[in-house]
Amino acid sequence: MPENTIALRKDVQEKINELGEADIVVGIPSYNNAKTIGHVVRAVQAGLSKYFPDAKSVLVNSDGGSTDGTMDVVRETTVDFDSILLHHRVGNLHKIITPYHGIPGKGSAFRTIFEIAKTLNVKACAVVDSDLRSITPEWIELLIRPVLNAGYDYVAPYYHRHKYDGTITNTIVYPMTRALYGHRIRQPIGGDFGLSGKLATFYLTKNVWETDVARFGIDIWMTTTAVANSFKVCQAFLGAKIHDPKEPGSDLSAMLHQVVISVFNLMEEYVTIWKDIKGSKPVPTFGFVYSVGLEPIKVNLDAMIDKFRLGVKELSVMYESFLPGELMWFLATVGDKPKEKFSIPDNVWVEIVYNFALACHRKLMSREHIIKSLTPLYLGKVASFVIETWESTAAEVEQRLEELCIAFEKGKPYLVERWFEEEEE
Amino acid sequence: MENLFDKIVTAPMMDCFQKLIEFLPNLLSSLVIFILGFLSGWIIKSIIQKVLGILNTDRFCKRMGITQVLEKGGIKTPPSKLLSQISYWFVVIIFFIMSLYTLKIPAIEDLLEKFFLYLPNVFVSALLIIVGYILSNFAGRATLIASVNSGIKFSGLLSKTVKTILFLLAFTMSLEQLGIGHDTVIVAFTVIFGGIVFALSLAFGLGGKDVAKEYLEKKFKGEAEKEDELKHL
Repeated sequence: MPENTIALRKDVQEKINELGEADIVVGIPSYNNAKTIGHVVRAVQAGLSKYFPDAKSVLVNSDGGSTDGTMDVVRETTVDFDSILLHHRVGNLHKIITPYHGIPGKGSAFRTIFEIAKTLNVKACAVVDSDLRSITPEWIELLIRPVLNAGYDYVAPYYHRHKYDGTITNTIVYPMTRALYGHRIRQPIGGDFGLSGKLATFYLTKNVWETDVARFGIDIWMTTTAVANSFKVCQAFLGAKIHDPKEPGSDLSAMLHQVVISVFNLMEEYVTIWKDIKGSKPVPTFGFVYSVGLEPIKVNLDAMIDKFRLGVKELSVMYESFLPGELMWFLATVGDKPKEKFSIPDNVWVEIVYNFALACHRKLMSREHIIKSLTPLYLGKVASFVIETWESTAAEVEQRLEELCIAFEKGKPYLVERWFEEEEE
Repeated sequence: MENLFDKIVTAPMMDCFQKLIEFLPNLLSSLVIFILGFLSGWIIKSIIQKVLGILNTDRFCKRMGITQVLEKGGIKTPPSKLLSQISYWFVVIIFFIMSLYTLKIPAIEDLLEKFFLYLPNVFVSALLIIVGYILSNFAGRATLIASVNSGIKFSGLLSKTVKTILFLLAFTMSLEQLGIGHDTVIVAFTVIFGGIVFALSLAFGLGGKDVAKEYLEKKFKGEAEKEDELKHL
């Protein structure tokens, strides 16, 4: 297998030489997170000391050139163990703080963390976001323990989120990943993962570190790569996920493009794996599952439906080149209905997403244009989902999402048939 | 009398016959070159068709919207076939011109020289039109998608404006290359383009001043839309 090694900085290399080997590496990628990273570092330190006191642990901060003193915060942060009533601490936590090299992005930060993990020959590794506000020491145990004690290679996070939080995950990424690869990983792009040293080394052998994976899409890439290459996968319940809001200027269509292009690219790579998979199976879940509150949030339904109508009206010439006639007719008529009756059924949504995947596969036009033109239809589906579940509890919404996932699984033969039909042309 | 007949009839006829004898080899080689042109054209056509097939040109043209434009113009032939046919006729015409040269008739030679000097301009101009069309199509579609996603009501008009302006720019450049109109075309383009911008400024300034005011107030006074608290990721 080809090795895609990167040269580590001299001081980092010296630190690694000094350490020799380690048991656990916890990586924190960062970029201008001085406000929040201190809490994350404290949680990691406390978690490692509390749950893995005998292990030789290393905290790696892989930074993208922060200018707000993020690296200084990591360097200076310590835990007052007395205040958290921890008296049996044995191990000594080591810190490696380094800027990463390569294309700016989370993927490049992960690459440096994996490289250090590989060089230290660790048994387990975890990565957590630097903007987390809800991380607790228990997260570290939940992400690491399944690897060390139960032989899992990949631990995906499982959070309880608001019913309208993570709508791209809920309506596209989760159902699609589940239908394609047959594993019910609820948060495939969660951002916080645990993995074995073996899997970290395997990731490094993949020739993706100079592609978009280095910039974005690393989360879905890691999940899909682990599943498609038959690594032992589980998920850990981490409770609620609260993190700093993203940049206010972050554009929905750009976000949608970044995530969906990664899913579609992986479909090309692993077509021989997913084409034969039917149905799905649950993955083992660790942790004590509990429900979280559902505070009401404001949703601008009119704006979403308006954008859907505008999209269908203006982009129909584009859609006609890859969406079936019946679907086009449906889209044209559903917009005329009043808000209360506005609904995009699951089977229609599945057909839309699969046809977008096929259009990208066939390279009918610029892939970026195809995916960005999905935005109005996606907003339509979200609006329909909100209308339908406005009064529903979290459990009922979860059940509703289960139905959507089943629709994706049932529609898969259509995708497979058309995918190969095109290749035979 | 006999001398006069020789002078008036026989001598010119002999002269003409002599010239015909001298011209015949040229005519023959001209004919051979002309026939060779058809043969070479056929070979080139077959090669180009094969290469374009390997390069998947038809799919590329479909992606770029070229096929759709051809279809709108009533041309149903696939672009790869069309290109190979064009190259066939191109080769035939080149050989035809060569065959005309072989005839060594001064008037034709003069005409052909002028034609050959002008030919590169025609090629560059055609290339400008093709590239301009592809780019304007791409930019028009990108504008349409971006404006629809931003919720702009007149997205279609905006996209068509971008597309038309870009294509007009390419068209102006191609006319300039052909030496048609020179300054007139550029001035006309500048006037039209300037007029559109001026008209839009007026329309926005007068008709949409309230919208602009509201937008700028929101932008600079920090009154961002907080109506939607959905988190997509």
